[in-house]
Amino acid sequence: MSQPVPFRYPVFSRRIIIVVGGFGSGKTEVSVNLTKYLAGIDPIPPAIVDLDLVNPYFRSREAEAEMEAMGIKVIVPRGGNFFADLPILLPEVKGAVESGAGRVILDVGGDSQGARALGSLSDVFPPDGYDMLMVLNSRRPFTGDLAGCCKVMSRIEATAKMRFTGLIANSHMIEETDPEVLWEGYHLAREVGREMNLPLAFLSAKREVLEQMDTTGLNCPILPLTRSMLKPWEKKTGPTGL
Amino acid sequence: MTKKLMKGNEAIGEAAIAAGAINYFAYPITPQSEVAEYMTWRLPEVGGVFVQAESEVAVGNMLLGAACTGKRVFTTSSSPGISLMMEAMSYMAGDHLPVVIVNITRGGPGLGGILPAQSDYFQAAKAGGHGDYHAIVLAPSSVQEAVDLMILAFDLADNYRTPVIVIGDGMIGQMMESVEFPAKYREPVNPETKDWPLTGAKGRKARVIKSLFLDPKLLEKNSFDLAAKYKVIKEKEVRCELYKVSDKNRLLIAAYGTMARICQTAIDELEDEGISVGLFRPITLFPFPEKEIFRETAKANIRAVLTVEMSMGQMIEDIDRCIKGKKPLDFYGRTGGIVPTPNEVKDKVRQMLAAK
Repeated sequence: MSQPVPFRYPVFSRRIIIVVGGFGSGKTEVSVNLTKYLAGIDPIPPAIVDLDLVNPYFRSREAEAEMEAMGIKVIVPRGGNFFADLPILLPEVKGAVESGAGRVILDVGGDSQGARALGSLSDVFPPDGYDMLMVLNSRRPFTGDLAGCCKVMSRIEATAKMRFTGLIANSHMIEETDPEVLWEGYHLAREVGREMNLPLAFLSAKREVLEQMDTTGLNCPILPLTRSMLKPWEKKTGPTGL
Repeated sequence: MTKKLMKGNEAIGEAAIAAGAINYFAYPITPQSEVAEYMTWRLPEVGGVFVQAESEVAVGNMLLGAACTGKRVFTTSSSPGISLMMEAMSYMAGDHLPVVIVNITRGGPGLGGILPAQSDYFQAAKAGGHGDYHAIVLAPSSVQEAVDLMILAFDLADNYRTPVIVIGDGMIGQMMESVEFPAKYREPVNPETKDWPLTGAKGRKARVIKSLFLDPKLLEKNSFDLAAKYKVIKEKEVRCELYKVSDKNRLLIAAYGTMARICQTAIDELEDEGISVGLFRPITLFPFPEKEIFRETAKANIRAVLTVEMSMGQMIEDIDRCIKGKKPLDFYGRTGGIVPTPNEVKDKVRQMLAAK
């Protein structure tokens, strides 16, 4: 047994967790890590829905094999459509949301365009039965300040026909992430939270960065991340093990 | 300036603006559509123009017309879209027009797929359209280099009055990396400072830009002029990069774009096993670093050369031409959107060294 992790992990009371964010927010990495974390603590294995209809590469479906090995149900298009950039919305998504027993994590791709998929499902979600969390990265061009974040979030809410219930502070620069970036993201998320009256569900960051910094003062739950969306020169096998 | 995390496609769009290029014509296609998406909100902020054309054929002809004004113009597309622009590309080369064309390459031939590929090397480096012409071809291997080469591309296009292609596999467009832009953005070029653009002939002799020469002597002269220009470009504009090249190398890998980064990982890991391999990365695919690759492969310690590409073997023809049979040359490639892994490259290197 490794030494106990000092972080206060996030807790969720609702069954449906919708993770939304523009590209570069780290939404996919957060979704995959959150699902794997919940798989370790939930009595029923969770399901993850790859609702990324916008990005053609680096989608949560690329971590499929790893997640399935953990008992997680991965809902993605199959066959050639696995690789497609087509707006494919599977019937299983509705099924998992409406009648599944375990937790469902929806990774909603892209920005307000990507949230359109969510809009088509909005009447399926039980009122007050879901968390809809916005992933914020202060180092992205559109979400670098309060005004930018509010603008992007309002646009997504309008398209999705749903309201956010919380925020995820996930400021990062991939391999160049340092504590300064994390603190910047934390403060921005707090500012956005005050403005939009939303709680900070958790802060997420690379485990290595979190373990090397003093997290006193980060007054929120923390989800340490292990990268699974790797570039071809960072891994041994190709996407989906091809 | 604070580093930002940007998708390659966004960074390419912003780099054009940094180069003072605010006239953009495009038609969306995966995996480069984010450039157009970015430009729809970014160009109005800087007083620029984005015309979404009805097809890539139209984009090519819009570029041809707009380039005649002497302003900086550009497009971004992906493989099948670039093919549709090849007629206009040939005209622009024949007309001596500066233009920047970005190809975020996907798998082909035909409609192919949407994953990364390098199978448009021939089209880019050997001129994809008709006639005796070339375009300068720049191949970045990171998002930061894509930004730097975009800015360079506009300068080269203006200096030589020629089309310049920036070619990146889909990974360059889709991946996220931290990136920095110049603190000071260029002002858009003033066409009145040049002696060739069509700016209205009031008060001066009319200028004509054309590639139609029915008199064969005049057509031949235009080809001589182009050839003279390419000779200067070949002398002055060759760019390449070496990685871990030393007299301990037993083998030299040639790769460009993100494929070179995969080879770097393979080279680092082979080094840990005590196998010394160097990397030769062409940055300009035209002009090709002919003398440079010959010089590196001719060294006594190099036993063989390996070309690695996301194609069935295209750049290898240039390597073969340049090393003049001095060393055995081998190839490893995957295609269709499948990217060779560091392990595959390592296996190939071990296999080549074992065969000696």
